[in-house]
Amino acid sequence: MIAKLKRFNLVMFVAMLALIAIGTIAIHSAGNARAEAVFHGMWVNNLASAAFGLVVYLALSFFDYRKFLDWFSLPAYIGAIVLLAAVLVFGSTVYGGKRWLWFFQPSEISKLCVISFMAWLFGAKREKPRTSFAWFAAALAIIGVPAALILAEPDLGTTLTLVPACLVILFVAGVWRRGLVTIALVGAIGAAAVLGAVWEAEKPGVSEERRAAILKYVPLKAHQVKRVKVFLFPDEDQLGAGYNLRQAKISIGSGGMTGKGIGKGETNHLKYLPQAISMNDFIFCVWAEETGFIGSLVLLLLFGAIVVPGCWTAFVSTDAAGRLLALGVSTLVFAHVYVNIAMSIGLVPITGLPLPFISSGRTFLVTVMAGLGLVQSVSVHREDKQK
Amino acid sequence: MKRFDGETLVADVSCIVLGALFAIALAVLAARLKEVQVQDTADYRYAYSRQAVRRVQLAGARGRILARGGEVLAGNRMSVSIVCDAAAFQEKTWNATVERIGKAIDAVAEVTRKPSPLDTDDIRRHVNRSLAMPLYVWRDVDHETLARFAENEELFEGFEAVVSEERHYPYGSVAAHLVGYVGRDRADAVAGDEKFNFFNPEMRGRAGVEHYYDSFLKGVPGESKLLVDARGFAIEETIVVEPRPGPDLTLTIDMRAQLAAEKELRGEKGACVVMDPRSGEVLAMVSAPGYDLNSFVPGITHDLYDRYMSDIGKPLLNRAAGGLYAPGSIFKPVVALAGLKLGYPPDETCECTGVYILGKMRIRCASRWGHGAVDMRSAIMKSCNPYFCNLGMDIGTNAIVSAAYELGLGAKTGIDFGLDSAGVIPDADWKMRTYGEKWFMGDLAQMSIGQGMLLVSPLQMARMAGAIGTGYLVTPKLLPGTGTERRKIGFSRRSLDVVRDGMRLVVTGGTGRRAGRGLAVDLCGKTGTAEIGKGETRRKNTWFIAYAPAREPSVAIAMLVENGDSGGGTAAPKARNVLAALFGERSDAQ
Repeated sequence: MIAKLKRFNLVMFVAMLALIAIGTIAIHSAGNARAEAVFHGMWVNNLASAAFGLVVYLALSFFDYRKFLDWFSLPAYIGAIVLLAAVLVFGSTVYGGKRWLWFFQPSEISKLCVISFMAWLFGAKREKPRTSFAWFAAALAIIGVPAALILAEPDLGTTLTLVPACLVILFVAGVWRRGLVTIALVGAIGAAAVLGAVWEAEKPGVSEERRAAILKYVPLKAHQVKRVKVFLFPDEDQLGAGYNLRQAKISIGSGGMTGKGIGKGETNHLKYLPQAISMNDFIFCVWAEETGFIGSLVLLLLFGAIVVPGCWTAFVSTDAAGRLLALGVSTLVFAHVYVNIAMSIGLVPITGLPLPFISSGRTFLVTVMAGLGLVQSVSVHREDKQK
Repeated sequence: MKRFDGETLVADVSCIVLGALFAIALAVLAARLKEVQVQDTADYRYAYSRQAVRRVQLAGARGRILARGGEVLAGNRMSVSIVCDAAAFQEKTWNATVERIGKAIDAVAEVTRKPSPLDTDDIRRHVNRSLAMPLYVWRDVDHETLARFAENEELFEGFEAVVSEERHYPYGSVAAHLVGYVGRDRADAVAGDEKFNFFNPEMRGRAGVEHYYDSFLKGVPGESKLLVDARGFAIEETIVVEPRPGPDLTLTIDMRAQLAAEKELRGEKGACVVMDPRSGEVLAMVSAPGYDLNSFVPGITHDLYDRYMSDIGKPLLNRAAGGLYAPGSIFKPVVALAGLKLGYPPDETCECTGVYILGKMRIRCASRWGHGAVDMRSAIMKSCNPYFCNLGMDIGTNAIVSAAYELGLGAKTGIDFGLDSAGVIPDADWKMRTYGEKWFMGDLAQMSIGQGMLLVSPLQMARMAGAIGTGYLVTPKLLPGTGTERRKIGFSRRSLDVVRDGMRLVVTGGTGRRAGRGLAVDLCGKTGTAEIGKGETRRKNTWFIAYAPAREPSVAIAMLVENGDSGGGTAAPKARNVLAALFGERSDAQ
């Protein structure tokens, strides 16, 4: 037990606790700005979820992840698929998306289920490494089914964060690496082509026919095109489609170096920051406005203190499954952090995506804490290399 | 085994590279955040205040208008209004918000027993245009309404009684045309100033001194900042600059003369101007009938305004400065001076037979059977028509016209007041331009006795009377202490003395005898009775002009009464009473 405690990564753990504290404060600020009383107590809910998450975290940290993967990863994956299907049938609709089943969002849990299943599938010790094209195709199916179900909700953001995590796992596991790299490159070129096409279609002075003709070939829905357009031309239509991004930037920018003081975020309290998402996708704005650049920096350092040690844990892990698990979870968390913050300052198009630990939402909070518990378990249960 | 080692190497490197990539990506975010939060802070703070802060111009209290003795002609009083804060009635849609405000106002109306003056469109306009500002529902409420509101205030969340200042005229209708009234611009009509989003409508002078000295009287506006939320509802207000009251304006008005003249003209149509011929200070300016200035506060009702406008007495008309009348016999001193200037001998007599005949025209004299032989002094004293017709015929139109101009007729007086009618001194050119007709001898004859196409204002006549008394034509003025503008009139002292003598005789034994009776001052005056219209519509406008004391005059007066009997019978006694208010009655002992 002492040995286990010695391998317990304290940096990750403390950073996580600090982020939970920041999240609770930010949720308190964002909730108080809302007219509806139900949001005023949201920070208490967050603390309660964090407490439950902490139990899960510690339990998973001191439970050997190998056993966890062997016993639970397949059933968890199948369970996730069932829940995702169920949510499409029985789920309740909130803000235009069908994401809720009873009291939780299956799509959040499913991310971790897919990652752990992939880590088990390609990391567990076997006679013959699973690196063929056939296994790659199988992996695509394994990712594709839940991804399609999540996309159907629709929840593009969740899909977008799951894909890079899975790609990292496949790359490190060496599954059809040459093809994988090619596909990744083709994907990047494709994304650039889509951006370029939207630019051509939406730039000022383009006729309506030409716009329609170009957009016919762009595989995006109308509201997604609009978001990409806002990303490309942020100064246009600041009261319409560009309103959210504009207000997010005003919130963040007006915070200045030291911020306006905790609980004193003007744009938040005067409801300029879109209220529907100030507690979720735009909560970074609330924090950045109230604590300024210093607060933003602290937040980034704390996230760094989680994802970088996550990669370190993968590096020092002697076991392929542990390595894949740590990398997968770290990538997942990083993708959320990066996309969420980058979208609110216009570095990437707006995508509905929560910020880990900070956004209000118990399913996601517990899921991320469980994922980090698994990373901690990889750290705790590693074997010394000298042995 | 070898292959596995290779795999391990790739995996190890991947871990390090990925960790480094994460760190770099977060550093990129930090760099971009530094740009947004540190370099561009000012831009974003400005963008924030552009959308969240509304600047409001606050009206400063208007300065008071005082008479020379300090009597308040126009002041301010506290006024309580019941306002509604739209933020208390927020609903998801604007229509629902408007509806809810309407219902809330109705609920208050029921308790205060004062029907709502606003309809749905008014409320919608407020919500659309000035949501952040309080909605004034009941302006300037009476005590009872306020008491009913105050008793139930806790029931009326979102309503508030606010205090502001309203114009108040303690003397009511006294000097109404002189003082004038104020109005308020609609809050949304004052646009144009980029600096402010909203205006607390200021009172603006609409007539009289309130209008002419508006920029002097108006308060120094202050500024407040309204913090508004994303929907535009006001969250809090901060006063940036307190508004300051405008300065008081003291007029030259002497309330003794003003009140006496008001009293004399009560129930009449007419006007009276009293002034100091030395300085030009206007001591009284009355136009009758008048109107209650307070009926314009806080705003005149359409009904009342229509009634004012359709009243045949034209109460809104300022007859004293803007009314134009045929002068009648008060014009005779002008003709006399014109003659004297040309060397007409004042002592030469003319035989008055009671009528002056010019071709088919017969101009009757006041004395049916004639005055007999009259010289210039007695012609003035008796207001003898034939004498002046003869005189006029002798000297010609141009001499009379230039004398009239010399005495300030036919031109604006230059008073510091919005209204200043020039009147008409007709001549051949004027008649040709205006009517396309030639100037006939008959026109000259009519003009010689102040009839015909001559038009003068009471203000001009008071000024002229003073000029005859002092030898100087002054520019009338309403503010004391400001420089005196005066011009020596181009008549010799001897000429003036002849006319003065005649005007003295008017009050001692002539047509204006009743003007001098029992006064503690000697005065010189002239009566006038101008006939207008013919047959059924024939009316007489009666005049009396005077200056006093006879030597070194300090007061000049013009009294006009429409539809009177005669200058001597109607206007002269009224003028006498006004002068009595200034100079006193003669004690019986004398």
